[in-house]
Amino acid sequence: MKRLLLAGLAATLALQAQPSPQHFTLPNGLRVVHLEDHEHPLVRVRLHLSLEPGDTLVGHQGLALLAMRMFQHSDAADLKAETFDRLLDDSGIRLSSTAEHGALEWRLAARSRDQDRALGLLADRLLRSIFDPMVLEAQRLACWRQAEQLDAPPFQRLEAALLQAPGARPTLASLGAITLEDLLTFRAKVIRPDRALLLIHGDVGLEQAKRLVLLSLGSWTVQEPPTLTGPPVAAPATAPPGSAADPVCISAPGASLRLQAFLPRPPGVTPEAATLIALLVPGEPTMSPASIAWRPEGLLATLDVGPEMAEAGAWALLQLRLEALRQRGFTTADLERARTAWAAGRSLGSLDAEAQLDAAAALTLGHGATLDRMKTLTQDQLNATLRAWLDVGKARRGLAGSEARQALPPRP
Amino acid sequence: MRLLVALLLSFLSLHAQTPRLTDVQERRLANGVRVLLVERRGLSAFHATLVFRGGWAEEPAAAAGATELLARCLYGSTWPEDADPSKIQPALDAQLKQEEGLLEALRLERLRLRQDLAGSSTLPTLESHLESVQARLRAFYPASPLADLYAARGGRQRAEATADALLAHTELPQESFEFWCRTEAQRLRSIQLSRFSQARADLVAELRAQGAQGLALLRGAALPGHPYGRDLADHLPSLEALRWSDLRALARRTLRPDHLMVIIVGGLSLDSALPPLERHLGTLPAPPEAESTLLPEIPADLGDRRVQATLGGTSSLLCGWRLPARRHPDHLSLRLAGQLLGGGRTARLESRLVRQKALVQQVDLRMDLPGCRLPGLLVVGLKPADGHSLAEVEGALHSEILRLHQDPIPQDEWLRAVAQLEADHVRMLDEPAALAGALGGAWAEGGDWRLLETDAQRLRTLTPEAVQAAARRWLKPSHRTTVLLEPTLGGPQNPLEAEMSRVLHALAALRIQDPAQRERLVAEGLRQLRMLNPEERQRTLKLLEGQLSPEQR
Repeated sequence: MKRLLLAGLAATLALQAQPSPQHFTLPNGLRVVHLEDHEHPLVRVRLHLSLEPGDTLVGHQGLALLAMRMFQHSDAADLKAETFDRLLDDSGIRLSSTAEHGALEWRLAARSRDQDRALGLLADRLLRSIFDPMVLEAQRLACWRQAEQLDAPPFQRLEAALLQAPGARPTLASLGAITLEDLLTFRAKVIRPDRALLLIHGDVGLEQAKRLVLLSLGSWTVQEPPTLTGPPVAAPATAPPGSAADPVCISAPGASLRLQAFLPRPPGVTPEAATLIALLVPGEPTMSPASIAWRPEGLLATLDVGPEMAEAGAWALLQLRLEALRQRGFTTADLERARTAWAAGRSLGSLDAEAQLDAAAALTLGHGATLDRMKTLTQDQLNATLRAWLDVGKARRGLAGSEARQALPPRP
Repeated sequence: MRLLVALLLSFLSLHAQTPRLTDVQERRLANGVRVLLVERRGLSAFHATLVFRGGWAEEPAAAAGATELLARCLYGSTWPEDADPSKIQPALDAQLKQEEGLLEALRLERLRLRQDLAGSSTLPTLESHLESVQARLRAFYPASPLADLYAARGGRQRAEATADALLAHTELPQESFEFWCRTEAQRLRSIQLSRFSQARADLVAELRAQGAQGLALLRGAALPGHPYGRDLADHLPSLEALRWSDLRALARRTLRPDHLMVIIVGGLSLDSALPPLERHLGTLPAPPEAESTLLPEIPADLGDRRVQATLGGTSSLLCGWRLPARRHPDHLSLRLAGQLLGGGRTARLESRLVRQKALVQQVDLRMDLPGCRLPGLLVVGLKPADGHSLAEVEGALHSEILRLHQDPIPQDEWLRAVAQLEADHVRMLDEPAALAGALGGAWAEGGDWRLLETDAQRLRTLTPEAVQAAARRWLKPSHRTTVLLEPTLGGPQNPLEAEMSRVLHALAALRIQDPAQRERLVAEGLRQLRMLNPEERQRTLKLLEGQLSPEQR
């Protein structure tokens, strides 16, 4: 505990070196976090919109991803899509978007002299994009290709397939079923200021940031969401194990066999327990010859099978190792070591503006670990979380390798 | 005149906004280690990059994959038994030596069994011995979680093996700086590589799984016989035969203090950072001056080369042009030419081939593949849109290259390309990891970290005419190699290639005893044959088959 206190003190001092977040809210409900840093003439902006289980209907898997592609390829306000991109490129502004980890995000990086233009263009994209049916047809297939990663190496494809819940994975059929009306409905329901969090980091003062945000996103209004018909897509954590996609098989001719078990994060895990488990599991000696890694979506166990081992035996071995780790749990010394590492590692945020934005977003959204709660986390709580997480019965299983070796024994 | 005014304005505004590199401080330690320090007051952590000049391009063919393995098992993690093995080293070395012997015996036994299926096998005995040795080895490893020394201190690390350098990046809280210096010096003194066998097995598994890659084919065809053209997947037998003691010996020869640059970006001043650096990294023994590796020169004018292959995935066109090395005066002009063609969503290829003509669905442009200490490649990858052929896409690409040669570059396009490169430069300066990587890259590739600044300055004085002239000199058919990739129909390897592989194996078995050497020869033969068109390949296959007896065919 003494070590943790010392590490906590060091971390507190270290965090003082990082810009402290200032919070404000626009009249339209948009929450803003501002981190001032004048080291370089750069401004970074992130707009985060969390997705909720009811945002996508059953049979419309891939709706969020397709919507993001539509934003990216549509005309905005009175600007043609190409003119919009040219305005970004003229100033070397980077604007990217993602639809993963249960959220939509836009990321912007611009030189501070271009901050007005950058924020204005983000607002145009967000609020004034015009979805065109012609663009929709072109983007359906592109969206499927993006989700399938057909050109990626087999091990990468296997991991990407496992990380997505079977019920949420886009298919050609689900993407084909999405209409322009569905996209507009999704947009009206999700792209709302009261669901959004805007983070600004860099060479811009607080008053200037307030002015900028008000000018660009102050006119963003809350619209009544239209009524959705049909049941929502199941939340990833409750996707049924042992479904048709279990095990996921990726053909990798000539390759030795790789088995993977993905254990999604169970509901109710605290950020502190998740943070410490993320630190403790990589390199865990109990797992040898398998390994286990942390991903934002959950834990991923991997076993590369040599020619001397049969598939059934390999899967049994992987299960055995996971069960051994689950039963053994972590000691008080492990807990202390992980807490100390976490506290010390917070200072690394000062090296990376994006990490500072991640941390500020996580804390504002209630996903971030705090020092006070970290101190009170007990060994029992940590091990209870680990036991819930390493439930092999809930694992999504997959394998990549030669086509001849694709049979797994039944789920226990 | 308007262009001049615009350029002047752009120069003045950039000058006011662009941070300078003058805060880079340089020192040389007594044993030859170079140190660059960028002090960023207010940072409570530091980023450190170790750059060892000479990447995988300098590996001897028999040690192919050594740099990648060092990145993984020397710098991928920081295990206690590797960082401070003094008390256990003799015992650990003995076990690692035993493991090495057993792994080699197993490899040879498996190769023997491929030829003699009916013969008796010692595999089970060897495997059982290996298992017991590896169990004894595991006793040296820490039994508790969070054993990685840097992770336990809140740090993180990663390493990369490029064609020109081995780079190891670490980030730690500032109070761990002395610990970092001590650990890195100890790591280089002992070069323990305790987890070598696992790292090698993982790398082999990854290479086998990824199969043949279009970019590797292109490199092989565009830079034949040159280390930059080497594909590690063609050297799997050598990689599997590479031993722990071989890699250790190679590391001792190549990871020398005089080949090392240490780059620190963080809240440390030179006064506080230099003493621990001198105490630890500065006391590494400097081996006697070694002869520098001479790499073959490759003429840029090799002629227009074409490769057709079936690799799975989707169809795509890869077109590469041999470029000058980074120190060449035309290199920066060609970087701008690359920016005009493929930098950003409004660059020429994206704008004209994707948006206007709808011929292509995806554009990917890369400079300096695989490196630029020596002449590398500018590569354009294009995926045809549905309903369009590779030939159409190829024609359209050549038209764009000709347009770059012949038509004046519009002013707005020029300013856009310059602005993008300038903005990238500012972002790079803002990110300690990117800045350290760029400084290390400039040193390893160009011989001087100051290139980073001189390139930024030269960018402001470059003219569209100079870029066009460089494009005409380098982006021409005699410098070009084209790879046409078609999707696999019914299998990973087309039947012709599978048959070719069978015949080459049969022929090699008649002449070469060593299985590893045999595999290497077959892989090289296949690579060379891929450069022929299908008719020539058929003819070559018949000629080769003619050398086999009827029962071997």
